Amino acid sequence: MSQETIKLKIKRQDNPRSKSYWQEFEIPYQPLSNVISCLQDIQKSPVAANDLGVDPVIWDCSCLEEVCGSCTMLINGRVRQACTALVDQIEKPIVLEPMSKFPVIRDLMVDRNRMFRALKKVKAWVDIDGSQDLGEGPIMSDHIRATRYTLSECMTCGCCLEACPQYTKDNSFLGAAAFSQVRLFNLHPTGAMNADERLEEVMGKGGIADCGNAQACVEACPKNIPLTDSIADISRQTSLKLLKDLLLK
Amino acid sequence: MAKINQDQAHFYLLKINSLLGLVPIGVFLAFHLGINSLRTVGPLQYQWSIDLINNMPFLFGIEVVFIYLPLLLHSLMGFYIYFSGKRNVVHYGYPRNWLYTLQRITGVLIFGFLIYHLGTTVVPKLFYGKHQFLAAPFLMDVMNAEFQTWTGRIIYLIGISAATFHFANGLWGFCVSWGIIIGRNAQRNASVVFAMVGLVLTVLGFATVLEFSLDPVPVTPTVGG
Amino acid sequence: MAKRKKKIIIVGGGLAGLSAAMKICESNAEVIIVAYQSLKRSHSVCAQGGINAAIDSKGEGDSPENHFYDTIKGGDFLAEQPLVRDMCYKAPSIIHLMDRMGVAFNRTSEGHLAFRRFGGTLYSRTAFSGATTGQQLVYSLDEQIRKYEHDGMVQKMVWHEYLGAVLDSKGICRGAIIHDLRTNEVFTLAGDAVILATGGPSQVYAGSTASTVNTGAAATMAYMQGAKYANGEFIQIHPTAIPGRDKLRLMSESARGEGGRIWVPKRADDNRDPLNIPEMERYYFLEEKYPLFGNLVPRDVASREIYDVVYNQNLGIGGQPMVYLDLTHKSKEFLQDRLGGILDIYKKFTGDDPKVTPMKIFPAVHYSMGGLWTDYETDSEGMIEPKSPRNQMTSIQGLYAAGEADCHYHGANRLGANSLLSCIYTGLMMGPGVLSYADNISQSADSVPSSVFSDAKTYWRGRFKSISKMRGRENPYKLHRELGEMMMANVLIVRDNKTLDKAYNSISDFETRMKDINCVDSNDWANPTPSFINQLYCMIQLCKIITKGALMRDEFRGAHYKPEFDLKQPKDFDPHEYIHYQEQLNFGEVSADAFPKSHLDYMKRFEANNKKWLKTSIAQFKNNQPNITYADVNTSLVIPRPRKYD
Repeated sequence: MSQETIKLKIKRQDNPRSKSYWQEFEIPYQPLSNVISCLQDIQKSPVAANDLGVDPVIWDCSCLEEVCGSCTMLINGRVRQACTALVDQIEKPIVLEPMSKFPVIRDLMVDRNRMFRALKKVKAWVDIDGSQDLGEGPIMSDHIRATRYTLSECMTCGCCLEACPQYTKDNSFLGAAAFSQVRLFNLHPTGAMNADERLEEVMGKGGIADCGNAQACVEACPKNIPLTDSIADISRQTSLKLLKDLLLK
Repeated sequence: MAKINQDQAHFYLLKINSLLGLVPIGVFLAFHLGINSLRTVGPLQYQWSIDLINNMPFLFGIEVVFIYLPLLLHSLMGFYIYFSGKRNVVHYGYPRNWLYTLQRITGVLIFGFLIYHLGTTVVPKLFYGKHQFLAAPFLMDVMNAEFQTWTGRIIYLIGISAATFHFANGLWGFCVSWGIIIGRNAQRNASVVFAMVGLVLTVLGFATVLEFSLDPVPVTPTVGG
Repeated sequence: MAKRKKKIIIVGGGLAGLSAAMKICESNAEVIIVAYQSLKRSHSVCAQGGINAAIDSKGEGDSPENHFYDTIKGGDFLAEQPLVRDMCYKAPSIIHLMDRMGVAFNRTSEGHLAFRRFGGTLYSRTAFSGATTGQQLVYSLDEQIRKYEHDGMVQKMVWHEYLGAVLDSKGICRGAIIHDLRTNEVFTLAGDAVILATGGPSQVYAGSTASTVNTGAAATMAYMQGAKYANGEFIQIHPTAIPGRDKLRLMSESARGEGGRIWVPKRADDNRDPLNIPEMERYYFLEEKYPLFGNLVPRDVASREIYDVVYNQNLGIGGQPMVYLDLTHKSKEFLQDRLGGILDIYKKFTGDDPKVTPMKIFPAVHYSMGGLWTDYETDSEGMIEPKSPRNQMTSIQGLYAAGEADCHYHGANRLGANSLLSCIYTGLMMGPGVLSYADNISQSADSVPSSVFSDAKTYWRGRFKSISKMRGRENPYKLHRELGEMMMANVLIVRDNKTLDKAYNSISDFETRMKDINCVDSNDWANPTPSFINQLYCMIQLCKIITKGALMRDEFRGAHYKPEFDLKQPKDFDPHEYIHYQEQLNFGEVSADAFPKSHLDYMKRFEANNKKWLKTSIAQFKNNQPNITYADVNTSLVIPRPRKYD
């Protein structure tokens, strides 16, 4: 019986300073496979297509159900989560590359620390008095809750930034994910008390005004977060703040 | 006024840049194309409009403050913006990403076109004294000559369509960047409206080019300089 | 003398770790969070359905006492009652705290918190945030920690792995051995206390809903360093998971909570499209057998019934181990709003839309009720003493455990939406105790002889060096899979001693094969393989705990089902009879005709069984084997009684 196989072409890099190179793999086809299970198969038998034993391919993953945001990579040239990339649904040979907007750690694993720094910069939190029992939280309409929920599903995976033409390795653009978080926290009754502080953080270099409205972010977002609504909304909030600061202060 | 830091300066510059594209540059473009299209009504009407403009008081000051300086700033910022991003429409060929890319490409095209356009229409002005310079016949001559060759026509067709696209798409960008339109629907509807605006301006421009090409009528001065 | 700044090392960035970090930060102590990956990526994000708190917003008469009772009953009376009671009483304030922190909990039309019904209870007490409650809770805690990080009070050490505790000559934990997963450096961190919030061990099973990081290695390492590991044999099998190759993805209990119905075609060979099978020809086995709780019976019951329908009655869909979970009778709008997130997941991973066609699901390993044994202290009224340094401390002094890594809250079976609660509760509850421990230790970590740290470092550097050099024939990832498959085949839903015995013996084969392992990756940068081999070693030890615990426990309790020792509850038995029986016993004599004979016999069996087995199993590492002993469970608040859900 001739066995069906899956061919993969993977861009590898041994460490952050070394050069990248391509390697091909061929593994037996099995139903219900996704890119993760292919990489796991390579781990179990790390042999390249030329029968050469190689180091297993390194990649990031954790939950495998698209809520942790770990396994982002370029699959056939486009950014997405590897866990939802079902082999039956994508073009073969499958070409895997690390994200290009973040420093490569090794193979398909990148360092997305810049995203977490951005969250810190935009003060993405509700400033509460403390964890002691202070009774119920603020009353909020379910409508606002629903908007906040969609924004809060952001798993810091980086797809929006990888697809964004304005986000590059050598600029300081904060990117859609961070702007959307500003909106998330400015929508919360308590969070809104610090709205201006958050807005100030995005009214600078790399801030909201640097957005070129290419709207690739919203297309690339695996969680369908309305990122461009957030960008426009934060644009409005910052514009109003600008006018207020100029005219009313 | 409190001192502004680098971050604020960056933000203000980008905001001003976005505003400049609308006023005065966008408004000027619309007037410019509109007034020029008087040529399709007749050479005389065209001539009058040019004379009217060229006889405005403080013309030089007005031109510098409302046209040349804004254009210069818009161009400089434009190049900064161009180089701050890295276009990727090859991999992410979404419609908006195409528009983003075209906005930047047309920006560069317009910059080149303007050097040519200003070089042939405005720079000569500087070499004549005001009293010897008769704007309308001079410009008519220049344009008549331009539109006798396909090179000239193509340069102008590209220049005009780049400018109208850049303006129409820029209007949309302005509305989003200033938070005037937010929701997906609003953004889509606005893009239809602005596309119409762009189309109208393009038609005006193209019609003028057509008229000049088909009917190169030389003119004599109507008003003394 | 200026007060020394306390330094607490927290291992794990999930709900338990982050809540502990938040609480401890508030007291101005120095906190270091060591995590395997960036903080928003922990396994807690996978929890979908919700978090329980008896706020009784619907006026159903719910109360923390009811929540406490349901949890104890759900756990088949094996949970530690004072702790569970405290947890249930604190639950409402925990929800309000999370709400204040900005969790997007679903709301009522008036803007209050909305609650839904979950398994094992008759009340709507589960607060939820769309279909990703765990994710939302983790994020909001992560945000609070980010604030503290911004203020310079927390140091995050992500991409670092905890290898073990640094123990001084008295066996007191003085810090942790840490492995940098990028440089592969091994170093020690001194701290006044170390908290293990390292999650569960489900990766020891091949078909689980766990994240790839849930190897249970950190807890196992504590066990090998002398900590007690309790109730390891109680592994929860989630009844509804989506089949997959790399993992089984959870289909949340909320799918049943919102009206999902479980069924199979009545005829085994019925291969029609499920939508074409008329109502009459569908077998809604949970609804038929359990009219009261219906599809919302506790997880252990549901899993066993599915197992029974599929393997004993051979009614699995198309002969495969799968049953339908059907939501197609609900409107698309309703489903999108209430369950959009999880239904999208099903669609993404199978290609089918659950709003249109019934989902195919099967049970999968989901949660470990057992974990590191932890201590606690009660005050004169039997409530938890809030500042006791004993709270959540393992049997190693200075080493604490919280969240899924601990053992006391879910007994023999966890109720849905209680795990998020127990994670946050333990994290918050232990904070003051950890600090008072750090305040009162006679000798600070700084004054411990430096050799304690350098010895530990030397040992671990040597161990990793030798692992890296291994060039045997066994691929560690393959071996892991095989181990997991062995556990799936032998130590799962239905257990019997012959199979368990065989399984226990086969674990030593895996140990032998471990000696012949090939460290397949030779890179000295960001190389996960040596670390994985070390974890695999831990997983083998863990399999021994689970399997031996299961082998020795000759009874049927909660998730631990041995048909041979089923007490065979009479069909018409009412659990209240047992309470009357107990009352009569307390008066002295049980009158002969008070109960039907079969009931009386059953109750006697039940009582005798509890006397022998209503105990926490405690595994201790001795001569490379788990030595299992049994400790009493605190059942002072609710009398253990037979469970019944129909």
